[in-house]
Amino acid sequence: MTLKLGIFYLLAAFTVWAAAVVVLGKNIVRAAVALIFTFCGVAALYVLLDAEFLAAVQVLIYVGGITILLLFAIMLTSRISSATARVINDQVVLSAVAAAGLLVGLIYAATQGIAALSGPPRLPETTRFLGRALLTTYALPFEVVSILLLAAMVGAIVLARKE
Amino acid sequence: MITFAELCEQLYAATSAWGLPWLVPTLVVMGVVVGFVIAYIAVASMFMIWWERKISAHIQVRFGPMRVGGWHGWAQSIADGIKLLLKEDIIPARADKVVFVLAPMVVFAASLATYVTIPWAPGLIVKDLNIGLLYMVAISSLTVVGIIMAGWSSNNKYATLGAMRSAAQAVSYEVPLVLSLLGPVMLAGTMSMGQLVEAQGGTWFGFLPRWFVFPQAVAFLVYFTCALAECNRLPFDIPEAESELVAGFHVEYSGMRFAIFFLAEYANMFAVAAIATTIFLGGWRGPWLPIPGLPAEVARGLFGLVWFQVKCYFLIFVMMWLRWTLNRLRVDQLMDFAWKVLLPIAFANLIVTGLVLALWG
Amino acid sequence: MDTKNLPTPIGTTVMMERTGETMEEMYVNMGPQHPSTHGVLRLMLKLDGEVITDCIPYVGYLHRCHEKIAENRTYPQIVPYTDRLDYLASMSMNFGYVLTVERLMGQQVPARAEYMRVILAELQRIASHLLWLGTFGLDLGNFTIFIYCFREREMILDLFEAVSGQRLNYSFYRIGGMAFDFPDGWLDNCRAFLEWFKPRIPEYDALVTDNILFQKRNQGIGIIDAKSAVDWGLSGPMLRASGLTWDLRRNDPYSIYDRFDFAIPVFDTCDVWARFLVRRQEMLESVKIVEQALAQLPPGEIMAKMPKTLKPPAGQVYVRTESPRGELGFYLVSDGTPKPYRYKVRSPAFCNLSALPVMMKGCLVADAVAILGSIDIVLGEIDR
Repeated sequence: MTLKLGIFYLLAAFTVWAAAVVVLGKNIVRAAVALIFTFCGVAALYVLLDAEFLAAVQVLIYVGGITILLLFAIMLTSRISSATARVINDQVVLSAVAAAGLLVGLIYAATQGIAALSGPPRLPETTRFLGRALLTTYALPFEVVSILLLAAMVGAIVLARKE
Repeated sequence: MITFAELCEQLYAATSAWGLPWLVPTLVVMGVVVGFVIAYIAVASMFMIWWERKISAHIQVRFGPMRVGGWHGWAQSIADGIKLLLKEDIIPARADKVVFVLAPMVVFAASLATYVTIPWAPGLIVKDLNIGLLYMVAISSLTVVGIIMAGWSSNNKYATLGAMRSAAQAVSYEVPLVLSLLGPVMLAGTMSMGQLVEAQGGTWFGFLPRWFVFPQAVAFLVYFTCALAECNRLPFDIPEAESELVAGFHVEYSGMRFAIFFLAEYANMFAVAAIATTIFLGGWRGPWLPIPGLPAEVARGLFGLVWFQVKCYFLIFVMMWLRWTLNRLRVDQLMDFAWKVLLPIAFANLIVTGLVLALWG
Repeated sequence: MDTKNLPTPIGTTVMMERTGETMEEMYVNMGPQHPSTHGVLRLMLKLDGEVITDCIPYVGYLHRCHEKIAENRTYPQIVPYTDRLDYLASMSMNFGYVLTVERLMGQQVPARAEYMRVILAELQRIASHLLWLGTFGLDLGNFTIFIYCFREREMILDLFEAVSGQRLNYSFYRIGGMAFDFPDGWLDNCRAFLEWFKPRIPEYDALVTDNILFQKRNQGIGIIDAKSAVDWGLSGPMLRASGLTWDLRRNDPYSIYDRFDFAIPVFDTCDVWARFLVRRQEMLESVKIVEQALAQLPPGEIMAKMPKTLKPPAGQVYVRTESPRGELGFYLVSDGTPKPYRYKVRSPAFCNLSALPVMMKGCLVADAVAILGSIDIVLGEIDR
């Protein structure tokens, strides 16, 4: 039991607990706050996988942007504090089946091992590698995503403007 | 200077000698480091609060604290801290207790976490992450989340509106902030805070230090403005303004909880000034003299420590000076300024820097 | 103003009201306890998002039955009550009232007293405008200008304390003259103050007037054009900021104002910024008047020979003066007894405040504070 493994167990437990609060919580605002902790937990797990750039960006974008967006949407909805979230809905059977299938697959992958999941390559510095890759090998997807973001921003502004 | 890693090694070795399992020395080292950082934040915040009162007083032709502790009321902050500790802890009746209690913790934790990558002296960083700068910016965006939590859980319409205003302001000003920091990162080729200071060594023409503030003056001004907005300082203090229609987000907090918000604000100010010092003003670089009796490295380290503090507090002085001179911006003017003025300027700076680097190396 | 949908309990802060198919308008309550309403004023702002669509001021929190009380007091006994009208410009209130009674009685006032009145009234104008400037900047977030303005105001208050014994409610003017003469050295102190004060305005300019942030906060908001201003009965700096050259000291001179050479500052942008510039310039003009009055001050009596019981002849009179806030009018009906039959005060701030809905319409919530500050209200005068 090394330090790293111990920390991994702690972080994993924390992340799963926070995610459980998000999914099972009745209070919507508390669920959103728990989502923040989930994202932070995931960022920490990224660090353990040596993807430190990804971890920082996860915190910056997901926590610093998306959860704030979520919280804005929640707070601007009227009478949200008196509404309780429904934990169980009509698709509970279908989603239970899907979740069980995913669980089986993950356990199989963890125990039997799949060639593609044989551990990430240990890179000395992911930032440099990522930057180079994004602008050479993956330049086209990068540009397409940029245009997609631009379209989303323009759409949001058009929707929000009052005519 | 003895590097931080070596200090930690020595501490680890010392505590391992107690013969306890490996977990204990690790925790002891971590505890000591965190203790030092928190102690520094506490003392620095108290000093800054006293200093702010003195600066504001002298700008306003007054004296400020003069009595508590004798010389110019230096113990005023301590007295205020004790007072806040003794105040009744009120939680509003229908407030969301868990979120209410959690909010100041999140804000303070975010401010505290940014101290990990501050280079105090050559070699003296808690952890010189290779994405140090990005890490600091990312973690400081967590304070916004804490502010929203505080505003919402107070069960007070005005606090919620104030929190949302603060969040909108913080998120808007984060974009030009990050962009303005990218200029020096391009010049230095690294995001690591320690290496950014290393990259600012040497001089031009024999006397002008190679600090990034000279080639990146525009970026420095953009960064400083955005930093003021991130700290909710005047002229960007709409979220905390008492004389506006909407009260601040921490209106329902009293006693120690309010003290934590207050402390976090000043800790944030110092962190932001530390980033500016490291990136633009050459960090701990400055003239140094050998001290008889100490090895040269240690003397250089001590001078570096002092220079870093001097530069940081100079920037903090400018922040306080601006607060007591300027008036508040209106909310829409604030947003206009971020998106229509600072963002294009930051982009332009980035493009010009990139062009210059590509053409002339 | 549609009053049927308005909530009456004071404790309510935010209400929603459905008007039309999709629009929701919100009422936000400001005051009566609020750091920026300059007294006990309650404003109900009708908001559409961030834009103000209507503004309903509720006054009366400081009503003290001033006019009714005056019906049961003799004419000299009313003087201290007039102080408490606009307590930030007590000398001007006194001035207006004693002029009214003297006009009713046809009473002449000694020359020295006339000059004393003008000196003190103009110093009071400077003090009132300084307080206005300080609190105006404070509302916008500039804490330092407040201290600077109060530093100068303290000097004027020291002068007033030396001459009358009071710092705020002086009750110094008397029907027929003044209460006391200037003490020894007062004139030199006054001249010294004027010399100290003249370079202060450029100092304030460096801090606020030339500050682009301050300008951006104040330009283009709170607009009321000249015709509307006259229709709504505005007066004082409000009129002069809308392009109308109208100052009672020049257009309907009272006392000895026609002997002094001073300019009337007029700006025509009709917004909060224009009012700011008008009041700033008025301070400098008042300095000129005081200097001229000090130079021309004759020796002599300060109080005319007055009967023991003042019984003005039966009749009515309306006398208007230019207080720092605008046209201050006193309407007095006498029935020959020592106590007035009817006494009415035309409060300039009351009339200026009534035009607030016009000025607020279309502005943002954050501008409400600036616009309210630009009217320069004092609730004592509004509510009487």
